[in-house]
Amino acid sequence: MICKIFPKISLNISYLLLILLLLLAVTGTAMAQGHGPLYGLQTPTLAKGGVDLNVASMSLSTEDETSYMLRYLFSYGITEDLQINLTTPTMIERLRDAPRTRGNSNMPANGDIEASLWYRFFSNAFGVGKRFESTAIVGVSAPTDDVRGQVNVGNSVHAAISTGYASRTWYGWIGGGYQYYFEKDGEQLGDLPYASAVVGYRPNIFMGDYPKPDWRIFIESLAEFPGNNKFNGQLDLSDSRSTKVLVGPSFLGLYGAWGISFGAMFPVVQDLTPGAAKERYRLAINLSYWL
Amino acid sequence: MRNIFRIMIIGLFGIGTASGQITKVDQEVYGMDCAPCAYGLERGLKKMDGLQEVRVSLNDGKAYMGLAAENGLKLRSIQEEVKKNGFSAKKAEVTLMGNAKKEDGQWYFETANERFSVSQDTPTALLQKLTVGTATISGTVQDEEDDNLSGHWSIVLTKIE
Repeated sequence: MICKIFPKISLNISYLLLILLLLLAVTGTAMAQGHGPLYGLQTPTLAKGGVDLNVASMSLSTEDETSYMLRYLFSYGITEDLQINLTTPTMIERLRDAPRTRGNSNMPANGDIEASLWYRFFSNAFGVGKRFESTAIVGVSAPTDDVRGQVNVGNSVHAAISTGYASRTWYGWIGGGYQYYFEKDGEQLGDLPYASAVVGYRPNIFMGDYPKPDWRIFIESLAEFPGNNKFNGQLDLSDSRSTKVLVGPSFLGLYGAWGISFGAMFPVVQDLTPGAAKERYRLAINLSYWL
Repeated sequence: MRNIFRIMIIGLFGIGTASGQITKVDQEVYGMDCAPCAYGLERGLKKMDGLQEVRVSLNDGKAYMGLAAENGLKLRSIQEEVKKNGFSAKKAEVTLMGNAKKEDGQWYFETANERFSVSQDTPTALLQKLTVGTATISGTVQDEEDDNLSGHWSIVLTKIE
């Protein structure tokens, strides 16, 4: 039924799964991006000395083309409140006219290699399974592509802040961030302020105690406001900032040291500058392994 | 001469045993909400010398630990491991063998490497049963600075064996 209604999405999911399975077969190990949401900003909880390995298969579809990417993320807990991350992509299919996005809290949906530092500056564990926490994120990125959306792409810096609540039943995170790309050969990608909000729920049926499997569902939302690009030293003044709002579900399953998450986001608002690519959907599948 | 040496060695070990140790800990953990959290804590605790069995419950918010007959484990080390995993160590229900002492009207229990002051919240009937010397006791322990790991323990006794 789904195949009939959304033949292209179904095909892409199959493609993503195939890529992921092939990768697992090759590496013999697997890995996701933590145990929070897939797209929205979250707060880290890696133990001091803990290592989290991730591999994700991601896709972004516009009206004209679809990208496919594998992304790897290595995270290390310097202390229980300070985590370092390094993520690199393998681009399988790039977009010629890529929309401006980060796409994902610690795994960019574009072709950037990114190193980031997550600092949990506030944490209040106030009950069994319950805590409030807030995290500041700073990162630097280097592109693996020369041109993105017909603009020379340079290095970038990224900063974000997020705060959240976790319990055994309900979860919630809100956050906001800002990415700034440096000029390259007289051209510059516009800056990118963004915000995210996530609500999560674990149904009663999955309240079995450890080490039983643990599933939860999230409703995620992202708002992105990419600024104008600069071409040949001139700022494109044709329009103001674009506005994009995306909403979608994601699912997270955890078992022992393993985690799998998958989800999709669909645009509900796309107020774009002229010529900007219109998005159709984003898909991601993510595997985690905690060493 | 050799016999004297042997007696000295045995004596030294004897003193070590007599000075006491913790034998069981049910550690309350706040903030632990997911399977990898429990997995990480369980794995961290299992690496500690002296722990014989470890079970972590997300629903209870507790780590249940049985300690080896001979161990030098501190309650502080267990709570540091909890903190290292990003959670808060709260109360612990412990069973320990220690030496009871009374100083300036305050009762204490000492193991080989930690000291627990007996809380005034302990039922009077149990306080009246206390005598100086070795005893095995059970009770609820809380760090006096609650989660700051000061290592100054206060114990509310629930049982004296």
